Amino acid sequence: MKKFVNDPLQFVPEMLTGIALANPDTLEYVPDYNLIKRADSPRDDKVSIIQGSGSGHEPAHVMVVGPGMLDAACPGDVFAAPPMDYVYETTKLLASPKGVLLLVNNYTGDRMAFDMAQEMSLADGVKVKTLFIDDDVAVQDSTYTVGRRGVAGNFFVMKAVGAAAEAGADLDEVVRIGEKVNSVTRTMGLALTACTPPAKGSPLFELGDDEIEIGVGIHGEPGRRRAKIMPANDLVDVLLDPVVSDLPFESGDRVALMINGLGGTPISELYLVYGIAHEKLAAKGITVGRSYVGEYCTSLDMAGASLTLVKLDDEIEGLLAAPAEIGLRIF
Amino acid sequence: MTSQSFADTEFVVRTIAQTAVDNEKYFGDLDSVVGDGDFGFSLARGFEIVLNDWDGYDRSDIGTFLQKIAVVITSRIGGTSGPIWGTAFLRAATVAKGRDELTGEDVVTMLRKATEGIMARGNAELGDKTLLDAIAPMTDTIEERLAAGDASDAVVAAATSAARTAADATITMQARRGRASYTGERSIGSVDPGAIAVAVILERLQSTWADRPKTT
Repeated sequence: MKKFVNDPLQFVPEMLTGIALANPDTLEYVPDYNLIKRADSPRDDKVSIIQGSGSGHEPAHVMVVGPGMLDAACPGDVFAAPPMDYVYETTKLLASPKGVLLLVNNYTGDRMAFDMAQEMSLADGVKVKTLFIDDDVAVQDSTYTVGRRGVAGNFFVMKAVGAAAEAGADLDEVVRIGEKVNSVTRTMGLALTACTPPAKGSPLFELGDDEIEIGVGIHGEPGRRRAKIMPANDLVDVLLDPVVSDLPFESGDRVALMINGLGGTPISELYLVYGIAHEKLAAKGITVGRSYVGEYCTSLDMAGASLTLVKLDDEIEGLLAAPAEIGLRIF
Repeated sequence: MTSQSFADTEFVVRTIAQTAVDNEKYFGDLDSVVGDGDFGFSLARGFEIVLNDWDGYDRSDIGTFLQKIAVVITSRIGGTSGPIWGTAFLRAATVAKGRDELTGEDVVTMLRKATEGIMARGNAELGDKTLLDAIAPMTDTIEERLAAGDASDAVVAAATSAARTAADATITMQARRGRASYTGERSIGSVDPGAIAVAVILERLQSTWADRPKTT
């Protein structure tokens, strides 16, 4: 393993320290609970939006705290749901009279930690609701699992509820918007390589030079099946077809299209994939109204990409277009 | 003076914690076969806290002691391990509330309550390929051996054998809970890390049981 790491145990705290030092005017780091929050949150006039999950998905979620986005992010260790105590303390710290919304990617550990933290916060008198995001079409047979995973599509739910909260919507309205966006968002991912968590020090699974994993989540867990590498045109079909057929997306639809890098894929390849997907959608009579290319929700250093479609209407498009700001330098 | 039941309870909890810490890499490697590799790390970091704070827990009675351990596990361990293992300790604690002595039947009741807690928290059933698939047969065996009048070392040995057999048998199951479930049929062919952890803990208990602290 060749990484910038001291002690794997300190990997997440040291990353969070860096985020806070790079954004001294806008962000605060609370080391006791691994918490990154907006310096000006909570505010009495807005619902606080908190997102948590394991670390390793950056920029999700600790790097998307800012106006029109998250009020706080509550990460656990790499690929592990945050301890319940962190979520509980974060919820109390961000408690606003208008309420708190917890955004959770649908994974077993996250569900349990956030469910318990919500219960305890409610007992303390905090007005809090939880919204589970489950956009991944790769997961089948939901009767026997906790259901579909929440993957890169969580960005669109977060962006929409962030915009609604910033505009002063009440908690029920923010929840309604989040549920609506989640219900029209679908994602599929594939990996070209496995990723290497700092605490493990070796790749999570073995993948041959000519092999790919199809249907991966965002924690480096293996996907649903393995296949031989194929030309980019065919790889895009592998991602696009199950997404389009799932909702389904149909001729005449207007969509947001996201090509999300999983951490180890050059931006050049992501744009190449984007171009192919955009044209394939056009051929199906589906119009891309908003485009997103880059890294939004990663799996450390995994090479690969996910494709997300959101079916747009005027309300959703307006929320996605609303101005927002995160701790990145705009030149 | 501390009762033998209390000393044994402390010994069991300490063995669980030490085994989790010592097997961080092994449990993590098991989890990375179809999971995401965080199980060993999460469990070790949490039980490290249990060991570090060991002397400070309220020992008014066995139930109180277990409850304090449960709170640390639930609130401080990330991933799925904190809520699941913490709930198990919490349910066991309710049986031992206000008690300094525990009978063999009490131990069985504690394990049954812990099992019910894990099922409720994880919405899981037997056969879903989780740690329940080791704990349930192990508890059955303890109940049978106690009914047969076996001494504690024989009960521990039988429980260990039952846990190991059951944990190894998870290799043929398809996961229905947790991250391994996302891989569907591909989860068949590898053991469940939680079930193996239960077996490894029991094996440590068995090998050290004769030398555990005695109060008389």
